[in-house]
Amino acid sequence: MSAFLTYLITGLALGCSFALVASGFVAIHRVTGVVNFAQGTFAVVAGLMAGSLLGRGLPHGLAEILAILLAGAVGLVVGVIAIGKRGTPPLASLVITLGLGILAYAVEIIIWGDQPISFQMVPGSVDIAGAPILRQYLVVIAVALVTFAGLGLFFGRSYLGKALTACASNPYAARLAGINVMRMGLLAFALGGLLGGLAGVLVTPLQPVAFDSDVALATNGFAAAIFGGLNRPGLALVGGLVLGVAEAFVAGYLSGSYQTEVALALMLAIMIWRASRRVSVAEEPA
Amino acid sequence: MLEVTDLVVRYGRATALDGVSLELAPGEMVALVGPNGAGKSTLVDTLSGIVAPAAGRVVLRGRLAQVPEGRQLFAELSVADNLALGAWRSGRGRAGRDPARVFEVLPDLRPLAGRLAGTLSGGEQQMVAVGRALMADPDILAVDELSLGLAPRVVADLARHLRELNAERDTTVLLIEQNARLAFDLCRRAYVLESGRITASGPCVQLAESPQVARAYFGGTTEGAGDPVPGGARDP
Amino acid sequence: MNAPRMVGFVLGGLVAVAALLAPLVLSGSQLTIYVLLGTAAMVTVGVSLLMGYAGQVSLGQAAFYAIGGYTAGLMGVHGLPTVAGLVCAPLVAGLLAALVGIPIMRLRGHYLAFATLAFQLILLSVVGQLEVLGGDIGLQGIPRLGIGSAQLSNTQSYAWLTWAATALVLLIARNVITSRAGRGLRALATSEIAAESSGVPVARYKLAVFALSAAFAGLAGGIYAFFLGYIAPGSFPVLLSFEFVVMAVVGGLGTIWGPVVGAAVITVLVQVLNSLGTEPGMPPYASSVFSYAVYALLLVLTLLFLPRGLLPTATEWVRRALRGREPPAAGDRPAAAVPTGDASGSPAR
Ligand SMILES: Nc1ncnc2c1ncn2[C@@H]1O[C@H](COP(=O)(O)OP(=O)(O)O)[C@@H](O)[C@H]1O
Ligand SMILES: [Mg+2]
Repeated sequence: MSAFLTYLITGLALGCSFALVASGFVAIHRVTGVVNFAQGTFAVVAGLMAGSLLGRGLPHGLAEILAILLAGAVGLVVGVIAIGKRGTPPLASLVITLGLGILAYAVEIIIWGDQPISFQMVPGSVDIAGAPILRQYLVVIAVALVTFAGLGLFFGRSYLGKALTACASNPYAARLAGINVMRMGLLAFALGGLLGGLAGVLVTPLQPVAFDSDVALATNGFAAAIFGGLNRPGLALVGGLVLGVAEAFVAGYLSGSYQTEVALALMLAIMIWRASRRVSVAEEPA
Repeated sequence: MLEVTDLVVRYGRATALDGVSLELAPGEMVALVGPNGAGKSTLVDTLSGIVAPAAGRVVLRGRLAQVPEGRQLFAELSVADNLALGAWRSGRGRAGRDPARVFEVLPDLRPLAGRLAGTLSGGEQQMVAVGRALMADPDILAVDELSLGLAPRVVADLARHLRELNAERDTTVLLIEQNARLAFDLCRRAYVLESGRITASGPCVQLAESPQVARAYFGGTTEGAGDPVPGGARDP
Repeated sequence: MNAPRMVGFVLGGLVAVAALLAPLVLSGSQLTIYVLLGTAAMVTVGVSLLMGYAGQVSLGQAAFYAIGGYTAGLMGVHGLPTVAGLVCAPLVAGLLAALVGIPIMRLRGHYLAFATLAFQLILLSVVGQLEVLGGDIGLQGIPRLGIGSAQLSNTQSYAWLTWAATALVLLIARNVITSRAGRGLRALATSEIAAESSGVPVARYKLAVFALSAAFAGLAGGIYAFFLGYIAPGSFPVLLSFEFVVMAVVGGLGTIWGPVVGAAVITVLVQVLNSLGTEPGMPPYASSVFSYAVYALLLVLTLLFLPRGLLPTATEWVRRALRGREPPAAGDRPAAAVPTGDASGSPAR
């Protein structure tokens, strides 16, 4: 029973970290219609930066915040390149973000080397109903819940959030209404960077991060985000939790080496199921 | 109110508008008719400032809001949100976003406020599109293809609202239509746009009598046979 | 045949002949690069067909490269005729692609891109756990290609084999592009609805191109396996799939020679920087940094500033020069490098 509880809470925490990466995908896709393949990069940059700042003696809190801000700035830069040139089609933007993710490898290796790094945030564990749970997991869960509540309020209630949503919903009408679609897109990329950075600093204490950790992070995050069609933060959180719990149980009861396949197969199944439900014509841009 | 002089607009190599001039006086209701691809939508997009002209001059005294062709609602947002976003440019804060003043003009919108815009019928959507444009408190309302794909009764209802707006609130209206009969019914003056040029203009009564216009716009060349619009296509 | 096309024809012939003669003069390590370039070009031709003609992005093409390699390698290791292995490599890859493609090709744009990537990740981790395939260590001691006792033993002969395979792939691609089906495919890349309504069996064509592109990758993988004699999951990283996309985009999508140009430019550039990076005095990570930077910068700059790719842009220049200042007719404008299709289905204005 306590093993079950450990797996469950571990899975929930894992799921929350996926969901945090997913939230960045959602923020960017919901506004720009672009799937940002550099999303994992934001997390990696923040994780590496936080690690090196802490290594230089900066206090906790400050180091993490600076690292997250850096990720936000990186997000903005990626946005400028990916959508800053008028008339870049979404699929071209996607391939550009892919290229920028690779470019980031070069930069990250120069700055931080190619070895994984990690750091401690809140060490130790607590007993919950007899199951030992790492404190860091609880932090991840708490931050994710607060973040998603905030995102939900922001997109669902605030005027700015609605204007952001309007940009992807109908860019032409948004421009007619006087919304600066390009600026909103860049704002979304910066937000995506911050969210990715937040995920990065929370995950690095749990699993060391290296320059090429972005593929794994992004894949899990995307798998979670696809649950809500890349547009709905709430469903992305659900997607992340389902995925995380599934992975934790597979790792715990079967074998750790099947973890990724399970997640990816689940994601594929969901995507295909969704595609088969939709009338193909409805997806095609007019 | 609005003065357009020798306007030229190009998309790459193609010229969509080739020296268009027109004029709207305050409080007027003017029609712009012409066949598909004439450049009507390009003209309003230029007036709205989202297409840049290659040459010519646009002088606009006051605020222009556009009801775009095909409605172009934010399908995933509620009607209330669609309306609120119409006030984005005005920057008048929370009060400016309150749709109450639009509900006064278009009371049918009030019960729809909570619905998702994408789930509405065509006529309801067109009403929301008009309401969203009104949220900007425009001095000039440019309506692109009011009747497109709508049932005659719905069109008549929308037309009545436009007339009221024009008569009671003094909103200047530029009505773009392929259905010239509807346009000439509503407006006193009209321009005919063909292949990017104004080919005729003047009082509607006069234009309707000109054999050239009559042949082109009342002779059954209206796009989409069976257009369910009152007085649409009629055999000569 | 008009003048520009004649120039292109002659140029293509010259390149082919030069490539055929090149193995006579190249050194050992240069021949290795030659073989790798050729295999990359074969895969890229498929990626280019898929992206330029079917409007689909595959981020998992290295999976089919791996399938070809493992098919050939496994058959070789178990003593089956190596030629049979080489023939089966593209067949198995194509067949598997057709099977996987049935559900996956229903997805569009972003979703398909991610699905192909996921397919590759799953494949790699499954292969890494299968004892028969050598697990993470991979297949070792793959015999050299040969018929009976006659073996292709030196690098030069692999270079010629690569040449022949590349030529075959290019010929097939050419036939596909110029066929009636090819024109249907072109319509598909621009608008699926338009293609469908004009009677193009969209789903079948997409699947066929996907399988064909996988078969090209499989053939290349087979040659690769026999050439190196050793393959492992680590030989086919996700980054390799990205590299094929980079080569296709940089060279020019939907053209026959574009992928070859893309593969050549990038392979040579990466090699040059690689040798620069391993010079004494350079930090140990220099060569990997260089290659990442080359891929990334070429990809991004091409997409932003030469969206049609190197080859079509260059062709246009030559054409202009030949025709003088006469502007090109509006009709012969090739499509943009990346299809404008959008999975999210935002209503376009
Ligand atoms: N975004 C665009 N890009 C290129 N050409 C366009 C674009 N929009 C309109 N056009 C062309 O400009 C011309 C005028 O179009 P439009 O203004 O939509 O005509 P109308 O509204 O009168 O039907 C048409 O030939 C159309 O093909
Ligand atoms: Mg129009």
